[in-house]
Amino acid sequence: MGYASLVVTVAIIAGIYSLLAIGMNMHWGDTGLLNFAHAAFFAIGAYTSAILTTTGGEGLLASRVVGFEFPVVVGLVGGSVLAALAGVVIAVTSVRLEGDYLAMVTLSSAEMIRLGIKNEAWLTSGAQGIKNIPRPMADAFPLQLGSVTVGYDLFYLGFLLVIVAASYLAFTRLSESPFGRVLHAIREDEDVPRALGKHTDVFKLKSFGLGAGVAGLAGALWAHFFFAINPSMFLPGLTFTIWAAVIIGGAGNYLGAIAGTLFVVLTRQVTRFIPGDIPMSSELPFIRLIVIGIALIAILYYRPAGLLGDEERLVAGQMEAE
Amino acid sequence: MAGLDPQFIWFGIVSGSLIALGALGLTLIFGILDFINIAYGEYMALGAFVAFSLNVEFGLPLFVGAIVGALVVGPVAIALDKAVFQHFRNRSAIVLLVVSIGLSFVLRNVIRIVWGSGSKRFDVPIEEAPTYFGVRILADQVGIVVLSLCVLGGTYLLLRRTDVGIAMRAASDDTDLARLRGIDTERLVLYVWLIGGVIAGTAGVMLGLDAQLRPTMGFTALIPIFAAVILGGIGDPVGAVVGGYAIGILQEASVVVIPSEYKPLIGLILLVVGLLTRPDGLFGEATR
Amino acid sequence: MTTSEPLLEARDLRKTFGGLTAVDDVSFTVDRGTIVGLIGPNGAGKSTTFNLVTGFYDLDDGEVRLRGENVADLSPEERSQKGMVRTFQITRELTGMKVRENMHLGGQDHDGEKVLHALTGAPSAREREKELEARAEDLLETLGLWELRDEYAGNLSGGQRKLLELGRALMTDPDVLMLDEPMAGVNPRLTEDLLSMIRDLRDDGMTFLIVEHDVEMIMSLCDKVIGMHNGEVLTAGPPEKVQDDDRLLEAYFGGEV
Ligand SMILES: Nc1ncnc2c1ncn2[C@@H]1O[C@H](COP(=O)(O)OP(=O)(O)O)[C@@H](O)[C@H]1O
Ligand SMILES: [Mg+2]
Repeated sequence: MGYASLVVTVAIIAGIYSLLAIGMNMHWGDTGLLNFAHAAFFAIGAYTSAILTTTGGEGLLASRVVGFEFPVVVGLVGGSVLAALAGVVIAVTSVRLEGDYLAMVTLSSAEMIRLGIKNEAWLTSGAQGIKNIPRPMADAFPLQLGSVTVGYDLFYLGFLLVIVAASYLAFTRLSESPFGRVLHAIREDEDVPRALGKHTDVFKLKSFGLGAGVAGLAGALWAHFFFAINPSMFLPGLTFTIWAAVIIGGAGNYLGAIAGTLFVVLTRQVTRFIPGDIPMSSELPFIRLIVIGIALIAILYYRPAGLLGDEERLVAGQMEAE
Repeated sequence: MAGLDPQFIWFGIVSGSLIALGALGLTLIFGILDFINIAYGEYMALGAFVAFSLNVEFGLPLFVGAIVGALVVGPVAIALDKAVFQHFRNRSAIVLLVVSIGLSFVLRNVIRIVWGSGSKRFDVPIEEAPTYFGVRILADQVGIVVLSLCVLGGTYLLLRRTDVGIAMRAASDDTDLARLRGIDTERLVLYVWLIGGVIAGTAGVMLGLDAQLRPTMGFTALIPIFAAVILGGIGDPVGAVVGGYAIGILQEASVVVIPSEYKPLIGLILLVVGLLTRPDGLFGEATR
Repeated sequence: MTTSEPLLEARDLRKTFGGLTAVDDVSFTVDRGTIVGLIGPNGAGKSTTFNLVTGFYDLDDGEVRLRGENVADLSPEERSQKGMVRTFQITRELTGMKVRENMHLGGQDHDGEKVLHALTGAPSAREREKELEARAEDLLETLGLWELRDEYAGNLSGGQRKLLELGRALMTDPDVLMLDEPMAGVNPRLTEDLLSMIRDLRDDGMTFLIVEHDVEMIMSLCDKVIGMHNGEVLTAGPPEKVQDDDRLLEAYFGGEV
C-alpha cells in the first residue's frame, strides 16, 4: 500500500510537470523562444487559483486580506488566464530581443514576480505561504465502488491525466496546424514569415500566452492537490528542470517533452522508493540533480535532437545555404 | 523625499564593487566565447567555499583562503572547458547556454555534497562598525571595495598592456577577424577562462564576506551581474564595471523611494531598459 | 486607379552604414504589369535597395510608394500584405521545414493561422488549406520540385532552394514580386522555363522587380532596366537604351575593380 500511494503521488507530480513541459515546448520547441520565466507562470497559476478559492484573513498571522472562496473550477480557469496574461506582458516587452537576451529578461522577470509574491503578504501571505487550499470534490472520497476503494489521490490522478491528455492533443493539433507552421517558420528564420506577410510579433505573443497559460493551469492543479504553497516552490531551478526535460525528451515533439519529464521526475523522485539506510543516502537528493545535469549535457552532445526529437529535421535545419 | 543618506551611497559602493567584479569576469568570458554561462554563478560559489574550508576548517587567515579560493577557480574553469564546453564550440549560443545550465546543476550539487547545503560564515571578527562622517563603515566592506578596485585595476592593466590582453580585446570585438589576423583563439580561450575564473572566484569570496555562503549564493547574485554586463555592452570590461557600480549605487539609493525588498527590481529595470534602448551597451561599441 | 500612376515608386532612398553610403538618393518607378530589372556590379546597392523598399532596413531618408500610398512607415509584413513580396539573395528557406510546408506558408488570409480556428479545425481553414495544396502542387510541378515535396528544405541544392523561394513567394499571389538574383545557381535547363513563366505571369498582370547578374538575360526579359553603381542610379529606361549606356559599361568592366 505504501508504495502504491507513493507511485500515485509521483505520477501526479509527473503529470503536472508534463503540463509545464508542454507549455515550454510550445515556446522553445515550436517557436524557438527562450523562456526562462516558466516557474513564474507556474507560480501565478498556483497563487491565483489559491487566492480565488480560499478565504482571506485566516491563518496564524492573518496578514492576507484577499480571498474569494470561489469554486475550484474558477480558480483553475483564473490561474491559467492570469498566467497567460503575464506571459503576454513579459513577451510584449521582450519578444523582439535576440535569443539569449530574451533568456536573461525572462529569468529576471520571473525572479521579480517571485519577489512580489514573497513581499505582498496582503495578497499572498508572503513567505508563510497559503495553506488549506481546497481539494476539488474531496468529500466524495474515498469512494466505495463495489469491493474497490478509490482513494482521493487516485481520483486526482485520473482527473489530471484527462487534462494532460487534452492539453497534449490540443497543443499537438496547434503545432501541426497552419498556426504551428508560422511558429515553426519563426523558429527557423523570422525574416521569412515576415516577408510573406505574417505578423510574427503577434504569433510570438500568442505562443507565449498559450505556453504560459498551460503552465498556469499546472500551477493551479499543483496548489489544489498539495494544499499549501509558498514562494520557495517556484525557484528558477524549476524552470531549469523543465528545460532539461524538454531538451532531453526532444524539443519540438510533445511526446518527447512528456518522455523527458518522466525521466526527470523519476530521477528526482526515485529516492522516495529507496530505503533510507543505503550508503550516501543523505547525498542522494544532490546526486540525482547531478544525474539530470549530466544527462542534459550528454544528450546535447550525443543526441542533440533529444530522445524523441526529429534528428533529420535538426540536421537539415543546420544546412546553411552558402 | 528625505535627502539621500550618504550611508546608502556607501552601501551602494560596496554592492557595486561586488557586481562590478562579477560582471567583469562574466563579460570577458561572454565576449570571447559568445554565450551566457549560467554556471558562472557556481564558479563564484566554488571560490567562496574553497576559501571557507581553508579559513574555517584549517584555521588559516581569511586572506590566505581568499587568495587560494580565487586562484583555484581559474584552473577549474579551464578544466571544465576542456571537459564540457570545448565539445560544443561550433554549436549555437543557445545550446551552450543550456549546456551551462546542466553544468550548473552538477557544480551546485557537488558543492552541496562537499560543503552541505546550510549557510556558512567566514571566521572573521565581528566588530562594532566605526562611524566616519556619519557613515557606518565595516572593515569587511572596506576590504571588499579595496580588493575589488585592485582586481579591476589589475585587469585593466592586463587588458591594456599585455599581448594576451590586447589580443583578448581584439577577439572580443570580432572573434572571426581575430582568427584571420592569426591570433590563436583557442589559446586565448584558455587565458579567458583562467582570468575570468580567478575573477569569479574573487567575486565569490567577496560575496561570502559581505553576507553568507550558500551553494546558491552565486546564482542568486547573477541577475544584477547580467544587468551590468548588458548595460556595459557585452564584452566591454570598462562598461561592465561602470554598469556594476551604477546598478549597485542605484539599488541602494532606491530604498529612499521604494521598499527595500524591491531593491533587485532596479537591476531588472535597468536590464530591460538597457536591452530595449541600447542593445549595444552604454558606450555603444560592443560586438552585438 | 489611373493607369498612369506607377505601381511602385521609390523616391530619394538613402541608407548609410557607418561611413558608407550604400544607397544614395535612389529613385525609380515600376509600372503595373511590367518586368523591371535592377542591375549593377557587386556592391552597387541593389540588395540594400530591396531591403529598403520592403522595409527590412529602415530608411535614412526617402519614400516608398505603393499604388501612390507612402508605405515607408509600415513594417515588412504590412508591406507584404499590401502585395509587395520579396525573395532574399542568400536563400532564406526554412531548412528545418519540409518543401511543402515552405510553400503553404506563403498562403494569405488563412483562417488556420488563428488559434481558435486551428484548434477547432474550422471548415474555412480546411478549405483554404486545400486550395493552397492545389496551388502548391501546380507551382512545384512547374519548378520541378514536386518529387521533393516531402524533403526538408535543408536537403535541397542551392538552385533548388532558389526555386523553392520563388515558389513560396508566388504562393502569396503578390501584385509586385521582387526577386533578388533568382536564377543564381539554378540549372540552366530550367532557367528558360522560369523566364517564360515570369513572362506569362506578367502577361496575367503581375509586376516584377528583378535583380540579376546575367546582364544578357535581364536585357531579354525586362521591359525596363535600372542600372546602379556605388549606391546611385546611373541610368534607367528600356533595355536597348540602357545597354548602350557608357557609364554603366564602365562601371561593370572598367575603372575601379
Ligand atoms: N547590413 C549591412 N551592414 C553594413 N554594410 C552593408 C550592409 N548591407 C550592405 N552593406 C554594404 O552596402 C553596399 C551595397 O551592398 P548590396 O546592397 O548588398 O550590393 P549589391 O546587392 O548590389 O551587390 C556594400 O558595400 C555592402 O558591403
Ligand atoms: Mg546583392
